[in-house]
Amino acid sequence: MRRLRPIRRWESGLIALLAIVTVAGAITHPALLGIYNLQTMALNNADLALLAVGVAPVIITADIDISIASMLALCGVLMAKLWTDGMDIWLAIAVAIALGALLGLINGLFVVLLELPALAVTLGTMGAYTGVAFLILGGQAIINLPQSLVTLGSGNIGATQIPISLVVVLVLAVLLAFVIHLTSYGRSLFAVGANRQAALFSGIAVVRVRLIAFVIAGVFSALAAVLYVGNYDTAQATIASDQLLPAITAVILGGVSAYGGTGTIPGVVIAVVLLAVLQAALGLAGLSGQAQTIAVGAILIIAIGAGAGINAVSGLRRPRRPAISEQLGSG
Amino acid sequence: MSERPALPTTGRLRSLLRHNETGLAGILVLITVIAAVALPAFRASGNPSEILDNASLVVIVAVGEYLVIVTRQIDLSTAATLGLSAYLTGELVGSLHVGVLGPVIGIVASLGLGAVLGLANGLLVERVKMPAIIATLATLSIYSGLQVVATHGSQLYADQLPNWLANIVSESWVGLSPLVWAAVAVTAVVTVVGRRTAWGRDLYAMGSNPEAAGYLGIRTSMRTYQVFAACGALAGFAGLLYAGQYGNVDATAGNGFELTAIAAAVIGGVSLFGGSGTALGAALGALLLTEIENILALLKISIFAQQTLQGAAIVLAVAGYALISRRLDRPTRRHLGTAEDREGAPAAAPAAHSSAQELRA
Repeated sequence: MRRLRPIRRWESGLIALLAIVTVAGAITHPALLGIYNLQTMALNNADLALLAVGVAPVIITADIDISIASMLALCGVLMAKLWTDGMDIWLAIAVAIALGALLGLINGLFVVLLELPALAVTLGTMGAYTGVAFLILGGQAIINLPQSLVTLGSGNIGATQIPISLVVVLVLAVLLAFVIHLTSYGRSLFAVGANRQAALFSGIAVVRVRLIAFVIAGVFSALAAVLYVGNYDTAQATIASDQLLPAITAVILGGVSAYGGTGTIPGVVIAVVLLAVLQAALGLAGLSGQAQTIAVGAILIIAIGAGAGINAVSGLRRPRRPAISEQLGSG
Repeated sequence: MSERPALPTTGRLRSLLRHNETGLAGILVLITVIAAVALPAFRASGNPSEILDNASLVVIVAVGEYLVIVTRQIDLSTAATLGLSAYLTGELVGSLHVGVLGPVIGIVASLGLGAVLGLANGLLVERVKMPAIIATLATLSIYSGLQVVATHGSQLYADQLPNWLANIVSESWVGLSPLVWAAVAVTAVVTVVGRRTAWGRDLYAMGSNPEAAGYLGIRTSMRTYQVFAACGALAGFAGLLYAGQYGNVDATAGNGFELTAIAAAVIGGVSLFGGSGTALGAALGALLLTEIENILALLKISIFAQQTLQGAAIVLAVAGYALISRRLDRPTRRHLGTAEDREGAPAAAPAAHSSAQELRA
């Protein structure tokens, strides 16, 4: 039985799905795996990947943060604004990342210290942060950002064909995976998500663990903002507002339970790749954006439904805790 | 909060004051009076009815959302349901020429379409055991994709609609437009059903403690299908009215509505932890949200600052309700009365309640 375990893992299923989509796509449209297409896919999904892995720890603790796209917009706008006001771009990036940490902390303080539902709080801060981003730029856009930022967001490493942002994303994801899966903080994170009360009774600083998760989401949103603004060479208050749902979708598709307590960072990364390939394949097949939207929704239902079905048949890889536990954090 | 043990008759007034709705109505009246005194444009003819017209659709969707939230679920797909229904039922009634039967067919079709879409959410949540937030996130993508497919890039225009639908804002029945009456009727019906029927009590039981509700013999699966279907039906109905109110329906109709409706319900005191709140509260929340928006617009505060203020209002409202309900859950001396009471059952009940709440929090 033990030998069979890797097959049952969520990530194995994802990789199989990814292989099927890739092979099917590449057979019908060989251009899918062309170097240009691969580069575009990597560049345009770098911000999505950072948003998704960044919000994963929050969802693992059975909370949710739907203000991530707004944090991205606000951090990106502030960074660009500081640069146009004469600040060095690298310093502006540092300030933006600090702002991301602060915004995440604000979410966390409301949710954790006042014990409010995370969905309601981040619904509120989502509007508030976007509003502040609008106030900073007054509806205008900043373009023609400095070359160093644009290179970071859209350039390649030296003479190779490998985008810099792809490497940045992978390094950050590995770093986060290390923190989540190999440190005592990571273990507390899963403990808090699996059973908050039990975690508290076993001496875990639940408040601090949850707060740090929100701060991580804020910091990664700010990092996503850097790559986003660099890639599209544009900063305005409306950027990335359509990235919230794909990011949450990727986290759940990646095997993180919305009830908290399970999930892996590699799983989330694979899910982002799967969504990217699926989108590119459908695009090449001439299907419009709406067909892609439907396909993403459908694949989410199929994956979760199939996962639940397999669990029911083959024993419980993602045990469902009693109803009292909570959909709460998430709902 | 009215599940609290009955208070002596002298406490009637106090118990009325404890209802969130009373406080909410108070805030609403206060803001209205201040705005009416300070802002001539606010009391200008036409503005009050404009506020009511603008609030109506939010009220209807928020009331539907209340049914789902009170059972500790959530529905993010309402906006897409609204948009899909606006186009499809708008087109349906526009192509029919059946005279007086038109409104009946329109209402039944919109409710039915919404109920089917809502039922699909219910099945995903209850059958497939997906968390509601994920299931309805997925159907939000799917339904809004269908919305674009259904509209195939074209639009529905006001002149394609029958008169009864196109005039729901301009006509006046006893001072209010049919649109507002529809919202009033929905609120009244759902408030009574939610608070005064066994069906409604089941929902509160499920929201307070889903497991215990199952042990009590409540058919929780059936209720879950029903609340999602009802929420979808109301969103579908709101879609029909949307077509009438705005005339033009395109692929983006209703975008972002789901969060406005949830925000309205939350401001109206419907707890996302489930088991508390009323349809009337959700409706008042929608009205308050719309009125604040109207006042900010009249003050010429930029639309960007409005978003910030609204976001802040949501966070403040949630924090306020949480603080109030924790205050009320703490057994007070006045509440406990005699020494026996202090040691007896009534004291134990609130204590159990608050510990259950801690567990949930």
